[in-house]
Formats: sequence, C-alpha cells, structure tokens
Amino acid sequence: MLDDLRYRTRALLHHNEVETELDEELRFHFDHQVEKYMRSGMTEEEAKRRARLAFGGHEQAKEDCREARGTAFIELTLQDTKYAFRQLCANPTFALVMILTLALSIGANSAIFSVINGVLLSRLPYRQPDRLVRIFLSSREYPKFPLNPFDFLDFRARNHSFESIAAFTRGDVQLSGDGEPVRLNGFGITSGYFRVLGLQPELGREFDFQAEIPGNGLQAILSDRVWRTRFGADPNIIGRKITMNMQPFTVIGVMPAGTQHPGNEYHAVAYGESVDVWWPFSFAGNSNQRGSHFIEGIGRLKDGVSDERARAEMNAIMAQLAREHPYDLRWTVLVVPLYTELVGASRQMLLVLLGSVGIVLLIACANAANLLMVRASARQREIAVRLAMGAPRSRVVRQLLTESLLISLTGGALGLGLAYGGVQALVSLLPAGFPRAHDIHVSGPVLAFTILVSFITGILFGLAPALQASRTDPKVGLQKAGRTSTAGRNQGRLRNALVIAEVSLASVLLIGAGLMLRTFLNLIHLNPGFQQDRLLTASLSLPNAQYKTRPQIAQFYDRLASSLNTLPGVESAGAGSDLPWTGYDENAGGFTVEGKKPLPNQEFHARYHMATPGYFSAMGIPLVEGRFFTEADKKDAPFALIINHAMAERYWPHEDVIGKRITFDDEPKKDSDWMTVVGVVGDIKDQPNSPGAEPAFWWSEFQAPEPDMSIAIRTQSDPRQVADGLRDAVHRLDPALAVADVKLMDSVVGTSVSTPRFTFVLVGLFAGLAILLAAIGAYGVIAYTVSQRTPEFGLRVALGAQRSDLLRMVLAHSAKLAVPGTILGVLLALSLGSVVRNLIYGVSPADPVILSAVVLLVLTVALVASYVPARRASRSDPMTTLRAE
Amino acid sequence: MPEKIELPQGTLDLLILRTLLPGAQHGWAISERVQQVSSEVLSIQQGSLYPALHRLERRGWIKAKWGTSDNNRRAKYYELTRTGEKQLERETEAWRKLTVAVAQVLEGA
Repeated sequence: MLDDLRYRTRALLHHNEVETELDEELRFHFDHQVEKYMRSGMTEEEAKRRARLAFGGHEQAKEDCREARGTAFIELTLQDTKYAFRQLCANPTFALVMILTLALSIGANSAIFSVINGVLLSRLPYRQPDRLVRIFLSSREYPKFPLNPFDFLDFRARNHSFESIAAFTRGDVQLSGDGEPVRLNGFGITSGYFRVLGLQPELGREFDFQAEIPGNGLQAILSDRVWRTRFGADPNIIGRKITMNMQPFTVIGVMPAGTQHPGNEYHAVAYGESVDVWWPFSFAGNSNQRGSHFIEGIGRLKDGVSDERARAEMNAIMAQLAREHPYDLRWTVLVVPLYTELVGASRQMLLVLLGSVGIVLLIACANAANLLMVRASARQREIAVRLAMGAPRSRVVRQLLTESLLISLTGGALGLGLAYGGVQALVSLLPAGFPRAHDIHVSGPVLAFTILVSFITGILFGLAPALQASRTDPKVGLQKAGRTSTAGRNQGRLRNALVIAEVSLASVLLIGAGLMLRTFLNLIHLNPGFQQDRLLTASLSLPNAQYKTRPQIAQFYDRLASSLNTLPGVESAGAGSDLPWTGYDENAGGFTVEGKKPLPNQEFHARYHMATPGYFSAMGIPLVEGRFFTEADKKDAPFALIINHAMAERYWPHEDVIGKRITFDDEPKKDSDWMTVVGVVGDIKDQPNSPGAEPAFWWSEFQAPEPDMSIAIRTQSDPRQVADGLRDAVHRLDPALAVADVKLMDSVVGTSVSTPRFTFVLVGLFAGLAILLAAIGAYGVIAYTVSQRTPEFGLRVALGAQRSDLLRMVLAHSAKLAVPGTILGVLLALSLGSVVRNLIYGVSPADPVILSAVVLLVLTVALVASYVPARRASRSDPMTTLRAE
Repeated sequence: MPEKIELPQGTLDLLILRTLLPGAQHGWAISERVQQVSSEVLSIQQGSLYPALHRLERRGWIKAKWGTSDNNRRAKYYELTRTGEKQLERETEAWRKLTVAVAQVLEGA
C-alpha cells in the first residue's frame, strides 16, 4: 500500500523524468529487437519495419504503461488541460467572450445565492431554532394581532405544548446620565424570554418571575453594544443604577454580542442586533379587562409537538377563555414558525430573483454551446486527424469537455470575484428592514455553490458539442478539410433551437422586468395623500416619570409647536402620533356611530391618531371639508374629531358628515360623551402598495394627549437647515429630552418603495444581460450561417439575384428564430404570471403594453444583431465564389 | 518455427516473476528468456510486457534500478523484492493446482 502510494507520487511529481525513462526503456528494447532481426539477415530498413510492427503502437504502449502506473487519470487530465489551454490561447477572442459571459452569469448567480444562503438557508442563531414559533391572535378584522397580557398569563399557565413561552413588546426608553440623552430601542419582556430563545446573558442573569410583579420593574438588561459604548464595558455593571426615562433602573444582566432580536410585528423592529435594552414587562391592571392587545408571544415547542398541534391546543384554551371573558370572544390563535414569520415575506421575491438569474445562466449556457459548435466545425480537421490516428471517441469527448470545463471554471473563478463585489452592492441596495441582511456574505457554501454551478455549466454547454464533434467521420472530415466544411443538418437544427430558446427566455425576463418597472413607477407616481418634499420629521417620547398628567403632555406639545412655527424658514409645524407609511396600524374598535348599527359579526373600527393643529398643513394632507384642529380644541371644549375620506364613505355614505357624532361610551348620557366630526381630510394608505385606505380618525393632541409623538416641519427651502433649530427648541423646553429619528420625509417615502425598487433594479439588470446574451447568440448563428452560405450567395448573385434579395433572405432567417422565440417567451411569461402576482402592483401579468413592447424590442434586437452578417451576405462577390469552387 | 500460443490471462505476471528469480534483468532480456525457455512457444508482446512491469513495480513485487547492459548501454533492470518472491511462490502453487485440476478434468471427461 505504502509502496503503491510512493510509486504513484513519484510518477506524478517527477512526471517528466518518469516519461523520459520510459522512452529510454522502450528504445532500448526496440534497438535490441532491430539488432536481433539484423542478425537473422534482414537489412536495417526491413529490421526496423518488422520491429515497429512487432512493437504495436508505440504511443499506445506508453499510454498503457501510464495506465499501469495508476496515475493515468490525473496525467491525462493534466495533459488535456494543457492542450485545452493552448487551444484557448490560440483563439483568444473566442475564449474571452465565453469566459466573460460565463463570469457575469455565474457571478450573478453566486451573488444572489449569497443572499439566499444568508437569508433563507443559514440557521437562525438560537438553540434548536426549528422549535421556535410566534404566537398571534387573529380575527375577521385583524388577521394578525398582538396578545392581551392576561390572556398570555393564562396561555402560559394552561398550555402543555410548549417547553416555555414568553411575551415581548416594544417600549423605547430614554437613557440619560453621562452625556447627551439618547433614545434606545427597548423591549419589555416576560421572565424566561431569553430561555425560550436559548440565549444566556454574558454577565448577570435574566428577569425572574418576581420582576413581572408591578412595582418590581426597575431592572434592565443591556445589549453588548450599549454596555460598551455607554458604560465603557464596565465589568462591575451588574447592580449598578442607570437613569432611564428619568427613573433609576438596576442593571441585572448584559447580553453577549450577536444577540439577535427575533423581529416583531407591532411597532416593528427588524430582526438583527437591533435592541439596546430589555426591561421586565409587568402585569398591571385588572385581569378581567382584556380589550387591549399589545404584547407578542414567542414559544419553544416541546420535542415531538408540531405547530399544528400547538395551535389546536392554544385554540382550545382560547375557547375556554372566551367563556370566562367576553372580550376574548372573537379571537383565534395563530402559531407561526419563527423562520416563516421572519423570512416568509422575502422568500418569494428571493426565489424569483434566483429564477431570473438562473435563466441568465441558461442563456449563457446555450450561447456557449452554440459558440462551441461553431468552433467544433472549424476544428473538424483536427478532430478527424485524432480519430484517424486511433484515438477512441471517448478520448475526443474527454478532451473537448476538458476545454469547456476549463472555460466554465475560469469563468466561475472570475464570477466569484464579481460576486464578492456584487454582494456588497446588493446588500447596500437591499430594502430597509430586510431580514437577516447582516448574514449575507460570500461564504463557504457560496464557494461550493459556485464550483458546483461552474462544473454543471461546463458539462451542460460542453457535452452536446463534444458528442457531436466526436461523431465526425474521419474520412469525411479529412476530405473536407481545407474547404469550408458545412455543419450537418442536425447541428444546424440544434443551433437554431438553442437560439430560439435563448430568445424566449430573454423575453420572459424582459416581461418580468417590465412588470417590475411598472410596479415601481405606479408606486412612486401614486398620489400619496401628503407632500413629501421640504419636510423634516423626528420623534419624541416624553418620559412618564416627568410628564405624569395629561395637561403636562398637552402643554409640552403646544409650546413646542408654537416655538417651531416661529423658526426662520418654517412654513408650518406640528406633531402627530405617527407618520404615514411607517408601519403604523393602531386600531380603535368598538365605538358607536350615532344612529347606526354595525352589521352582524362586525364592529365599527378605524385607525386612530392624535395631532396638533399644525400637523395636517405641515404634512400637506388636504382638507376635504370642515376645518383642521385649532388652539380652541382644548381639554374643556367639545371633543373634536377629524376623519379621513374613507371613514366618511364607510360610515356615512352620501351624507354630510360635519357635525356627525361617535362615542366610545357604552351608555352615553351627556353631550360631552360624544365626539363630533369637525373636518374631513384626504386619504393616506397604510403602505404605498396597500389596496386602499383604511378608515381613520384623529383626536386633538390637546384633548387626548399622547406622550410619544412624531414632529413634522414643512420648510420653505432645505429642511435640513431647521434640524438644529428643532433640537434647540426641544432642549429649551426640556434639556434632558432626546430628539430621535431626525429624517427627511423624502427618505421615509424612499424606504417604503425600496422593495419594489430593489426587485426592479435586479430583474432589469438580469433582463438586460439576458437580451445581450441572446443577441450575441443570434448574431453568432446568423454570422456563421452566412459565412457557410457565402458560395451559395455568390452563385445566386451570378445568376441574377438582387443584393436586397440576399439581405432579405438573411433577415428572414433571423426572423425565423426571433418570432417563435418571442411567442414562446410570451406564452411562458403568461403561464408564470401567478409567480409574480404578489410582487407587482397596479399592473396585470398579461399587460398588453408590456407584452407588445417586449415583442417589439426583442424583434428589433434580433434584426439589429443579424444586420451586420446580412450586409456581408449582400456584398457576396460572385467572382470570389466561382474562383474558390 | 513452432506455432506460438497466446498467453492465458494472468500468466504474464507469473512468467515475469519466475524469470527474475535468478537475478535482475532488463525488459528485453525477460522477453528473450521467456521465448527461449519455452522453446519459442511463448512470446511476450512488448505492448503488454512494459505495462505489466510497471504494474508489478507499483505493487512492490519488483523494483527497478538503472544499470549498464552487456553492450555498455544504460538499461533499466528489474529485480524481485521479498514480497515478490512470496507472491511468486503463491502464484506458482496456484498454477500447479490449476493445471493438475484442469488435466484431471480433461482426462476424466
């Protein structure tokens, strides 16, 4: 065994030496044989001839010896590779075109695969992440809704499906003390939240059940980042008091770096290291009042319990609860695997991108196969010689496959480099809040994917041409050599079919790109219902400890708005409980519309907001009728309500709504129990691609004060110039208050259309690449055919054909490829329509404008691609032809 | 010249090993020796001799070294190794059993 290895190693490493020795050994034998024949009386000539015959093929013997050495496979491969390399160098343009188109296509595939690998394939960084599920409520009106805290306590106590469950809710905090006060992303969590995730604090511990009791909540767990940046990585941080929301919190734990927030739905914070601080959620209030829903559930299933079974059990518990509490009547429980919840929405888009980029690669393969077939016909003579010399067909196939693998692997290596740069560009292009964007790298699996794809590609485009070439009849090949050899009828048919396939696939991608472009344009040209330009926004959160009463809150925002309105360059300023298109979807249900009854199984509900008088004009939300809020809509004035157009249509269709009233009181007695509609404003949808606007109303911030508000400032020129003025105005009122999320409304809007923009840019890029490749493919086939038919064209000219006839003939050939290609492409795109239905907005997959534009574009490209060879054909010189024949 | 017969499969290795038992030889000498000893009945095609030598060398039954031939040329000499000798004994024994058995069958039938 060891001898064997040593022997083979020497044969490989000292290849040349071993080969020389073999030559010498064989020559020694040959000479002795000749000598022996000469001794028996032959002439030297005769003796040599006999010896050669006796010896059989010298090369064959050498090959057999190599085989016997057990290194034949590697040696042959090396030899084939060297030969392939020489072949490619001999025809650098050909090699370059193939390698570059493959590098682009493989690189694009690797880049998209990096995203898929990071987002969809790599494990979530929790213990046994496949056992983790999210728990939501669902009803007719609200398909996915947060839990009520007391329902959660009952779920936790009664279920048998979960190892453990926990709840969490967004609650940002203001950290003050050392330095500038800052707003931190915070979450209130129940005891055992980190145990559910399978995470351990780096320092200290997580909250115990005691912390859930009201009054015990002044504890905090810090993220690694906050611990390092704000507290200098103090190793004695545990037990230290820090000031959050103007109250002393005791630090009881620090989470390690890399602690990923599992993402949430209500006041969403994206998955990632996006949370700065956790505080204990406390179960305060009356456990019989279960109308408010604001915490989200997460649970770890017991081994062997499916999410289906857990859902069934949770719904059984929910049914019990509904018997105990009327509030719980209309809910069912959703149990969604965490993985689905996190990446489910991005999955389809990513798979569509992978499909698109896969199509590009297929086109590149078809192209490469075509080019190889052209070259194989040019190399017919070389191949015929090799076959005539006794090379088995398998050797020829192997040699040609080595060439295509050399091309595809070189392309793959270059492609990997492109992917490396491409992935960085992709990540920077990714829509804001895209799940797991930080997990996207060119990693080991991506490398393996690239190598595999390169191999498959090389074999895919190399096999058919290689097999075809190996079928060359040596006799025919040698006879034809020197003259223009024609490809067989079969080969011509195969090449035409390949181009038709390329054209159809490119058409599919172009149609896809057209749909994405329309979607994107539809979204950005949509009337948003507000004016996004010259608008600065920010958010403020008044700490409970300091702003204890509602009048205090009202007064703060009243003063701030007045002060902002006097800043130079400000047209109008105001505060609202939220900004459009930022994911806000708070609903108020259960109100009564005066004089109306809700339909059975339904209730009156609407989005609710608060606003100061200046908010609407600052946002540029138009007044449809009535009035905006004024300074007079204060605590003791009649309760004023501004509603949107959708709410007016829904609850008072065809009526004059000003003066109409609603109430949240079950038994309203006096006038002050009612809220009166004073104005109607234009609609704004939840998201630019939402199907329609939801009914919504606003309360006056002075009558229903809300501590967490967004500021909107409309300016005369560049809104950035008032950012400092805003900070000063806030700090004059309260120096300890953090001004967070200072942004232009333009960028808020840009973020909300970033997903369609991302999809459009990528699909567009791939479609461009596809049509370019298809054009190269069509050009290649037409140009080759023209060069083959030059003698025929010459003859035709000699026989009186017009040059325009020749031009028309060639262009007709091109049309014969392009027309069926586009028709196939359109049919394919129509059948794939449902795949993209969720990704498009305001356009049908069968949009006639897009379809006809693509057909026109593809046909034009095909004609342009064939025009150059057609011109060449029309210039065929009959004399040249006749002389050549 | 007597009629030559084809070597049965697997006997080439045995013949080479046996020929090398007296001492190291080069390839040419091995083929001449086999032909001579077998009274010109067995001849080894060069096309199969050298691959066989390389295969035996790889298996470690023979080893090669360069030496000088009778007419003062550099030649590659093969000699039996210890494992080669053992292999020869095994193969010789197997061959004897085989021929005896085949002969019995042929005569008995």
